[in-house]
Amino acid sequence: MHWQDILRPFTTSVKGVKKGAMVRWFNTNTFYFTPVVAGELLSDGSAVSRTFNPSLVKSGAITKVILPDPLTFVELAENSYYTSRERLIFAYCDNVLRPEVEHLSRMGIGYVQFSAPGVVARFRGKPLPRAELEQAGEGLRTVLKGVKVRSGYHTFFGDAAPYLPALFDLIPTDDIGFDFTETDPASLGSGEGLIAGVADARSSYVESAGELALRMGGLGEKFRKITLAPSCDLQYVPRSVADAKLRNLAAARLRLIGK
Amino acid sequence: MTDHKAFPTQEIGSLPKFSWRTKPFRQQPLEEGDIAVARAWGRMLGVKNLESLLRLLKKRSGFTDEERRRIVEFSMLYAIAMQEKAGEHLREPGLDLVWSGEQARTEMYETPVSNIKGFEFLGRVRSFDNKYWREASVRRKPAYLRDYHLDEFLYTKSHARRRPKIPVTDAITIVAWSDHYYYTRKWGRRSLAPAAKRFSARREMTLELAGVIRRVVRDLLRRGAREIQLDSPAATQYQTVEDAKLVAESFNETTRGLDGTFSLHSCFPPKYGYGILFPHLLEAKNCSRFSFEYANRDGYAVGVDDGRRVGYEDLKLFRDYGYEKELGVGVVHVHTDRLPTLAAVRDRILYAQKVTDLPPEKIFVNPDCGLRTRSPEVAYEMLGLVAAGADEAREALAGN
Repeated sequence: MHWQDILRPFTTSVKGVKKGAMVRWFNTNTFYFTPVVAGELLSDGSAVSRTFNPSLVKSGAITKVILPDPLTFVELAENSYYTSRERLIFAYCDNVLRPEVEHLSRMGIGYVQFSAPGVVARFRGKPLPRAELEQAGEGLRTVLKGVKVRSGYHTFFGDAAPYLPALFDLIPTDDIGFDFTETDPASLGSGEGLIAGVADARSSYVESAGELALRMGGLGEKFRKITLAPSCDLQYVPRSVADAKLRNLAAARLRLIGK
Repeated sequence: MTDHKAFPTQEIGSLPKFSWRTKPFRQQPLEEGDIAVARAWGRMLGVKNLESLLRLLKKRSGFTDEERRRIVEFSMLYAIAMQEKAGEHLREPGLDLVWSGEQARTEMYETPVSNIKGFEFLGRVRSFDNKYWREASVRRKPAYLRDYHLDEFLYTKSHARRRPKIPVTDAITIVAWSDHYYYTRKWGRRSLAPAAKRFSARREMTLELAGVIRRVVRDLLRRGAREIQLDSPAATQYQTVEDAKLVAESFNETTRGLDGTFSLHSCFPPKYGYGILFPHLLEAKNCSRFSFEYANRDGYAVGVDDGRRVGYEDLKLFRDYGYEKELGVGVVHVHTDRLPTLAAVRDRILYAQKVTDLPPEKIFVNPDCGLRTRSPEVAYEMLGLVAAGADEAREALAGN
């Protein structure tokens, strides 16, 4: 992937967006350029696909692309064009995410994950209004309608418990994901697809397969399909640590399915 | 320490390293072009004993440790000269507070961490674009090993014509950029909520490291340093109220019982701006100057009204909390090659004075942050804009 931060394809290639100030990405030592929304959002669908090598898609494995969820985009953007956050949410979904996801699907991308730290990493606990979660859900329904990709919505950097069970009820993706270093797995209840962020992606400590499996508790019986995952992007640890964590996730899976 | 001059100027962070400085440390042979650059810049900057450097560089490869030490010293001379000559067309060119521009350091994290006991390097982690730092994990309680900035400071002091300063990376930043293994394991056994465990681990590590850094600072002061800048780019990384209080607590712990002029530099906060540190930051009672980045968030238009100087909005925080000491104001955005006009820089300075209502002698002018990601040409132009912008602001003030 040739993009430099998760918002960069949009700050550089979507009409209506300009590249603004360099700003800290949540509570990390990484940075992004603020998307400044100064006109009507419009994407031809290729903003994301032009940042990676298409041969990756033909490797035989299911290829996954990660995009900023509508609420994270709205939270981090500087909006001087749309008259409300609600309008910006729908414009981002209809005019940017929809053409992008359609295009990615046509390329053969099998999984799209919407990363949603903006939902749960709320500045000093300021809650996200339920109405915005509803709007994001409605917008994502439009994005995904009729498109042949599996989809996930992953929350991280904060505790998702205050937004449960609303996340399962309102967000239309196949899977909903949680950062288990922040969200107590016991608060998740039950549902269909779960992304279980069991490996701490912000610590160099490499959990054993046994430790990772233990973190699943009894969730295996409460969800129909579970994906074991890091708690968030693995870019916060060195590559060797990231590789070891992925290996142990795979081993934890085998342990959990009894192989 | 207040200068008697209006809008004194300072370098705030790193300067770019020339290829003749970096290649000998990467075991890469120097080429004719590298030596030509050393010659051209050396002549332009009036570096003393330039021929001696050029003779040394002609060796091209296989430099001994002693030869590499001399290359670093020349590199410091270039950096000091770039600051002292910046804005060379002015009646009084150059910056008022100078240093060696990180030329003697790998960078601001790796150098201190390599010289404090208790850390083990893990590997590279990306910060932004193609910029990485070599992350270390703390495996034992940190302990003092040596004053890792002393030689660099003494060299700067003996070769600078302007007042020397010495930036020192603070404990908050070393903690934020490190893996907290030792402290996480220690606090992991306690019956606390996950966030409380993490904060407790951070706080303990920060205060123990502050004690180590205090010893480094104390040694610098004993050897003649007067201006110590504690670099805290990570001051806004963790955004809880407790973390904001910890920034001030760490500063006070680092400077406790010491006599000098202490300032704090920070940059690139989250979208909420520097407001997340207030008012707790002002509990850093030993701090005589807060130097922050602002130009990154500002427009390029000329003018001193709120609408044209949106990047400087956060300066109002100092006024609102009745702050009366000094400020360092970033007037050049360092992550672009796009240069602001001289008039825009002048107006950023004048606006800063207007909204803070501080005497102009208390408004220091600097680039937003370190210039290491720019080419030497762009960095030099930016330093020139700092010097010339302050000069224009002084004239504008005198004309009113």
